[in-house]
Amino acid sequence: MRQSDSHEVSQLNELKIDVGALVFTAHYVLAGDIIMCEQMPIYGGYAGGLEETTIVDVATTINAFVMTQATWHLDGPVHVRWGITTARETLAVAGHCAMAIEANTNLMLGNQYYTIAGPCTVMCLLETAAQAITDTASGREVLSGVAASKGVATNYTTGLEARMMAEAAYAVAGMETARVNEILDKLVAIYEKDYKNPPKGKPFQECYDVVKLVPTQEYLDVYDEAVKIMTGLGLTYWTK
Amino acid sequence: MALAKALTVFDIYDRAKSGPKMDEKDWDYKVIPQTAAALKKKYGIKMDKKQIIPTDKEQINNLFKAGLEMLVECGVYCIDTKRVIKYTEEEVLASIAAAPTRVIYGEGKDAVELSCRSYTDSHPPIIQGGPTGAPCSEELFLAIHQSYAQEPLVDTIVDGVLQTIKGHDPVPGSPWEIAAVKSEAILVRAAQSRAGRPGMGL
Repeated sequence: MRQSDSHEVSQLNELKIDVGALVFTAHYVLAGDIIMCEQMPIYGGYAGGLEETTIVDVATTINAFVMTQATWHLDGPVHVRWGITTARETLAVAGHCAMAIEANTNLMLGNQYYTIAGPCTVMCLLETAAQAITDTASGREVLSGVAASKGVATNYTTGLEARMMAEAAYAVAGMETARVNEILDKLVAIYEKDYKNPPKGKPFQECYDVVKLVPTQEYLDVYDEAVKIMTGLGLTYWTK
Repeated sequence: MALAKALTVFDIYDRAKSGPKMDEKDWDYKVIPQTAAALKKKYGIKMDKKQIIPTDKEQINNLFKAGLEMLVECGVYCIDTKRVIKYTEEEVLASIAAAPTRVIYGEGKDAVELSCRSYTDSHPPIIQGGPTGAPCSEELFLAIHQSYAQEPLVDTIVDGVLQTIKGHDPVPGSPWEIAAVKSEAILVRAAQSRAGRPGMGL
C-alpha cells in the first residue's frame, strides 16, 4: 500500500469501536496515509426507524473525522431485512445524511453498494443506478462498488456493474433535486417489488470471457436493456 | 473557546481507558434507541420515503444538529474496555474544521483529485470500482479486478477478499489472514498494471 491509497478502518454498529481499530489508525496517522473510515448503519437495527437511523448515520459520519482523523468517510446504510444498500429506506437514509453533512461542513463522503440481485441481471443494474443517482445528487464525493448478490456469493461481481454506477452518476450530476427525486421514485418502484425473489444472476466466469476479459454478448444485451429503462425515465446520458 | 490541540487517536485511546463504564447491552438497547428517538422528537424530524433526497433546508439542518448532538451526548462505546469515549461539542467542531478538503488519490497520471463537491455540482464523484469486500476465488481474483480497472470511468479500485489463500481459509487472526491480505494488495496492483493504470489508487 502507498500513502496515496485509502487505508480503511471500520466503526462498529452503532457508535461503537474496538481498540484494534484505534491501534491501526495510529499507524495510518503516523505514516501520513489517506484514511477512509467506514461504517454501515442498520436501518431497523439498534437505532430503529428511518429518522433515528439517519440521525445515527450523521453522528457516526462526523465521528469518523473525530475518532480516526479520516480523510473521507465511507457510508453504507443497510436494510436489516434485505441486507442491501439499494432499498428505498436505505437510499433515503444515505440521501438525507449526505445532504445534512454537505450543507453544514466540507467533509468528504462516499457510499458503498450492496445489491440484492446478481450480475447479468437488469435488476442489479437498476439497483446500482438508483444508488449512484442518490449519492451523486446528494453531494457525495466517492461511489464505491458494486458488491452484487449482497456481497456474499463468491465471484458474483464484475466491472460492468461499476460501469453502470459511473454512467448513472454522470447522467445526473448537476440535475435539479426535485427531478432527481421523481426519477428515483419511479426507478426504485421498478425493482423493490422483487426483493423476495431476486434474480441470482451469474458468476464472473459466465459474465466475461475470462481470457479476453470482455463481457459476454448476453451481459451486454442485459446492460442495454437497463439503459433503455433509464433512458425511458428521462436520463439522456446514453442518447446524447 | 480555544482548544489546546485537536483530538488525536491517542487521546481517544486514553479516553477509551478512562471514560464512564457501561454495559454493552445498555448501550445497544437503551442509549442508542432512546437518544435517537428523543432527538427525532426534539427536532421534529419526519422523513418521506418517496423523497429520497431532502429539499427542506430546515429539515436538512435539523438532521445535522440532531446527529451532532447525538455524538456529543452519547459519545462512542469501546467494546474492549466497556467504557464510553466522550467529546465536547467544541472538540467535535474543531475536528470537522480540521478535516482535509482535498487529497490526491493514486500516483502519476493515474491519480485523481478527491475534493469536496456539492449536490449541485455538474462534475461527477470519484468512481471507486471493485467487489467492495465480496469474496473472490484465488483463480479469478486478478481477472475480476482487472475487469474493473479497465473500465475507463473507474478512477480507483476497492478490492474484494480472497476466499482462500493457497487453498487455506484465511481465518481472522491467523497467519493465513495476513497472507491473504498481502496477496489481495499484490493482485490488485497487478490488475491495475495489466489494465495500463499502475498509478491507480486502491
